[in-house]
Amino acid sequence: MRPNARAVAYFLASGLILTAGCAHEVVRHPATLTPAAAASGQIVEVQQEAEIALDSGYSRRLARGSRWAQAGTLPQGQAYKIVGGAFTVEGAHVHEAWLVVSGGELVGFYLPVEKAFTPLSTRARVEFKPVNP
Amino acid sequence: MNLVGRIAALVLLAGMMAGCATGPKYEEVRGGFPSLDADKGRIYFYRSSNPFGSAIQPSVMLNGEKVGDSRPGGFFFVDRPPGNQEVNLTTEVEKKLTFTLDPRQDQYVRMSVGLGLVVYRVYPELVDKKTGEEELKGLSYTGQTGTAK
Repeated sequence: MRPNARAVAYFLASGLILTAGCAHEVVRHPATLTPAAAASGQIVEVQQEAEIALDSGYSRRLARGSRWAQAGTLPQGQAYKIVGGAFTVEGAHVHEAWLVVSGGELVGFYLPVEKAFTPLSTRARVEFKPVNP
Repeated sequence: MNLVGRIAALVLLAGMMAGCATGPKYEEVRGGFPSLDADKGRIYFYRSSNPFGSAIQPSVMLNGEKVGDSRPGGFFFVDRPPGNQEVNLTTEVEKKLTFTLDPRQDQYVRMSVGLGLVVYRVYPELVDKKTGEEELKGLSYTGQTGTAK
């Protein structure tokens, strides 16, 4: 390999190594949540554990038995906030996230701080069971 | 192991331990924490005693304000009005954590150590109350004794 070509190859390899450790930013679309009335914020329980592959490359587990409160409505679906726990999505940064469910599928997440919706390319089936208060 | 090896191991161990937090343990002080005002929530920040990356002790920033330092084996807490919270650490690569805080809610932020591009880095994670309370056991309080900011 000629010296110039070798230098270019080293430069490109270095660039690849440096960028390999950088996570993608979580995609965000501005969203307006219509909050659920406090009295009607139904609690539901996840019936089957689900592994969720985030578009950022990270993954999250939807634990069986975890409880979620209906927090409001988005054009994309119903939003559910975890009860007594913590749930986040992760990319370049970490964000508290609420599930957005439509037609029995997890279609994305609502980020309450950023007031944004982040879609999920690989939708996951979620089974909820209402919990009596 | 020969003598030089033993000395080197001791020096390495001393170096790793040098950065660990000292102070009263969680179990000793938790009963003395002030009660939480009805119009505030409490955020606990903690870091395990993992010696890896112990020399990296970034400042903990909450909504742009320094509230403490990330020290191995240490924890502290702050009380804040409800609303949006943003945590970041002054480390090699910025990784922000955003979450909401409700009135009378406890939130737990674990500061974990990972290997960055060049050196170890510390990043914040939000954990549930059960995990947070369990992992706080044995950690040293590095906040202001008897007061909540």
